[in-house]
Amino acid sequence: MQVFKAFMKVMRTRLPSILPYVIVFMIISVMISTVGGDEERFTAEEMKICIFDEDDTPQSHALAEFIAKGNELVELENDDDVILDSLYYASVDMVLTIKDGYAERLAAGETEDLFTTKHIHDSYAIALMDQLLSEYVVTVDGYMAGGQDFDQAVESAIGTLSKETEVTLVTEDSTMSKSEYFEGFFRYLPYILISIMLNGLCPVLIVMNRKDLRYRTNCSSIKVSSVSVQTFLASAVFVGAIWLIFVVAGVILNGGLFVGTAWLAVLNCLIFAMISALIAMLLSSFNVSDNVVGVITQVISLGMSFLCGVFVPMEMLSSGVLSAARFLPAYWYVRANSMISGTEHFDGSKVLLYMGIELGFAAALAVITLLIRRMKYNRADSVNA
Amino acid sequence: MENTVVKIDSLVKRYGDLIALDHFSLEIKEGEIFGLLGPNGSGKTTTINCLLSLLAFDKGDIKIFGKEMTPTSYDIKKDIGVIMQNVAVFDELTVYENIDYFCGLYITDKAERKKCVDEAVRFVGLEDFLKFRPKKLSGGLLRRLNIACGIAHKPKLIILDEPTVAVDPQSRNKILEGIQELNARGATVIYTSHYMEEVEKICTRIAIMDKGKKIAEGTKDQLKRMIKNTETITVEVLGLTDEVISQIAGLPHIYDHSYDGSLLTVFCSGGKHNLIRVMEVLQKNDLSFGRVYTELPTLNDVFLEVTGKALRDKED
Repeated sequence: MQVFKAFMKVMRTRLPSILPYVIVFMIISVMISTVGGDEERFTAEEMKICIFDEDDTPQSHALAEFIAKGNELVELENDDDVILDSLYYASVDMVLTIKDGYAERLAAGETEDLFTTKHIHDSYAIALMDQLLSEYVVTVDGYMAGGQDFDQAVESAIGTLSKETEVTLVTEDSTMSKSEYFEGFFRYLPYILISIMLNGLCPVLIVMNRKDLRYRTNCSSIKVSSVSVQTFLASAVFVGAIWLIFVVAGVILNGGLFVGTAWLAVLNCLIFAMISALIAMLLSSFNVSDNVVGVITQVISLGMSFLCGVFVPMEMLSSGVLSAARFLPAYWYVRANSMISGTEHFDGSKVLLYMGIELGFAAALAVITLLIRRMKYNRADSVNA
Repeated sequence: MENTVVKIDSLVKRYGDLIALDHFSLEIKEGEIFGLLGPNGSGKTTTINCLLSLLAFDKGDIKIFGKEMTPTSYDIKKDIGVIMQNVAVFDELTVYENIDYFCGLYITDKAERKKCVDEAVRFVGLEDFLKFRPKKLSGGLLRRLNIACGIAHKPKLIILDEPTVAVDPQSRNKILEGIQELNARGATVIYTSHYMEEVEKICTRIAIMDKGKKIAEGTKDQLKRMIKNTETITVEVLGLTDEVISQIAGLPHIYDHSYDGSLLTVFCSGGKHNLIRVMEVLQKNDLSFGRVYTELPTLNDVFLEVTGKALRDKED
């Protein structure tokens, strides 16, 4: 196993260039896992609301106090420019004006046109606030219809609408309770894996394929097939070790062993580690310098990551970019990972299809590498007597 | 009867239209230091590559230790050591690790390998540099490491392809002494070079190559006897007249001469007392002379005569 041992010794000298990637990724993963912990708690959304009370009656004050309970009240100058600027710069989400005569008209049973609201964005929170105001006046009106006087009806309506509902978060699969963390951890791996393989594995393979060393090895009594097998084995051990490091890190950060479909993400990661290693092998066939390897690493890792939804979610990418990304393995890795993590609806057959496409890329890379090597390093296998 | 270690029979190697080896034949006996001499591009390295089955050839036959050499002749390869012109070692491994790696390509037994590596280290004198990386070694030490990597497995046949190119004279002498010592220990050596003085110094038999052909072969003396020139006499003398020059040219065994106004060069072919006869002519004509020296033919003269050009012409 001389070639294997030499490979590992050469690899040892490359570790300093790999470690930063591992360390940075681990730090980012820890940060993601910390953020991911909040997903288990429910907190009601607060709005920043400015209320102009033109009615200025005890009933309008009661309404303002009721709204203030679950939201943040913001004070603004009642000036159109100021209001627009505040809405534009999002220092306030909604401006509510309780119109003059609100109490009098509500007491008379009118429920329409009691308020005006101003907002820029349409969101669930704005819609819910509109709904809450409608519900409030309808409830007051209902209590009055039930025989209560106006003040009692206001009090009853506030009491009814102030009841809080207890919320418990339940996910479809308990193994994915940290789905966003899980998705994030595996989603960023393509960038790290490509960087590590190209910075770590590729230079070692270039050394092992150095013309003068290959010449000397070919002169020796070791079989060519043995050299190839040992080099392949050493590469496989390196790829396996890197993969294992990330799986173990994932298990630790996940707070327990992966179970169920989560193992598919681990398998997906292994397939992509193989693809990254094959890219490194292909690049090493050209005997490029360390500097060139560095540049190509950045181009491939960053390019693939940005195009294929590793750094930027696919929803934000144009259809043109996504069409081009289909020709890159990272695209299929991210698609599979999104399904496995539950970000997209899980479909087992599609996940396997995506992994199959990744394996297709791996096979294509292997064939291209072998062809190039055969052309470049063609040794005299047959001697004409 | 000496055993034949290498037998090359009518080898032809073409690179497209270029004929690199043209029916090249060679036989090397056990215990020889065989010199393969020729200018750059004469076919020396092509011959070595074909010999090691690293290069396919078009015609011919190669036998090493009596067996046909093929790319898969691993039983033959285990007894061959190769030392190239370039230092081929791992920059990432230490001196010891490098020698151990290349020795390990031949010897799998760990204890035996350790013994061989230690012996090779002592042989090249790298005991104090075992943990050094090659980049920390001087040029001479690197050459020694290169040699250690090629001979650690104790090969019976050692092929050295221009191992002294770009090496300082001191290291060159050490390398040559080392080769002679390896030969004394029983190894057969093939030594390619375009430095004739080296080949002349260490080789027991020599083949001269040019344009892919073997143009002469034999021991140093045999090669020198193949040429017309047996002695070159040089005399520092002023004022030689045409008459005196013609008297010298008329002496027996003198086949050529030249005079540049201060230096007379006389080329002799066979015969004895040529120098005395030239001196007598000068004395008779009352001519005083400065330094006088006589030289026996060198391999350079042999090469010059058999190829019609100086060996270093192409190198330069």
